[in-house]
Amino acid sequence: MSDVKIGIISCSGEECLGGTISRLATRKVLEELRPKETVTICLPLFLAGGEEERGFAKVFPTIAVDGCDKLCAKRGTEKHSGKINASIDISKIIGTENALNKKVVRNQDLKPEHFRMIDKIADEIVKAMKGVDPGASVKPCGCCCGGKC
Amino acid sequence: MSKKVKVIPCSGIGKVYGLMAREAVLKTVHELCADKAETVCLGYIVTGDKELKEKMEGQNCITVDGCPKMCASKNVSIAGGIVKEEVKVMDTVKEHKGKKFGSPTRLDADGEAVTSEIAAKIAKKINEIV
Repeated sequence: MSDVKIGIISCSGEECLGGTISRLATRKVLEELRPKETVTICLPLFLAGGEEERGFAKVFPTIAVDGCDKLCAKRGTEKHSGKINASIDISKIIGTENALNKKVVRNQDLKPEHFRMIDKIADEIVKAMKGVDPGASVKPCGCCCGGKC
Repeated sequence: MSKKVKVIPCSGIGKVYGLMAREAVLKTVHELCADKAETVCLGYIVTGDKELKEKMEGQNCITVDGCPKMCASKNVSIAGGIVKEEVKVMDTVKEHKGKKFGSPTRLDADGEAVTSEIAAKIAKKINEIV
């Protein structure tokens, strides 16, 4: 297994179910499925943080996980950090109607069917990781230093 | 254009405080102040799209941040929103020393209780603004 970690960036959108699923599927990969092979960063930190945070996608091969076809994680990362290596549009997997559901967004409102969607997207993230070249990063130091440490 | 107060959490993915910010805002806009407030995806704000800037420009906003990086507040300001109140999750958390709130994935009972407390503070601010 490579020492290089893969960055997973979730849109974590607050307006619809797709955002909640992107966040929880990303957490599932980070905590349960691939904890030693993955890292993450908060998407809005690209603007609120400093050079180190903005260097994330240059340091880590990165997968964007978006809840809808606005693709905010993909576009935000590429605009403020660097080119991503793979992108997952959840609405293409669970359907636009599910992804844009504005009534079920809170964790407490999730039903078993939504947890099945989370599992499915987490599996898709793991599949996408297999297609990512770990050598695509600047420096495999395992943090988000931007290659400075 | 909607004149509802825009309440935007950081939804930070690395710590429980990001989840508390997110869930407090969702409780506020879905339950406590559904007729006076709404949320906007912070990820969308990060894109800086023209359509988004038009939606945010000059609008009354409350931001809710889980860490000192203040991502929600900074990004809303950059997008042209007027930040009427910066709610810091840590301000309420400090009043509950020793409690366990959960993880970035799910809240424990104490986490839910403190999140409700934060939501009530947000709702109070909304009622002052509207």
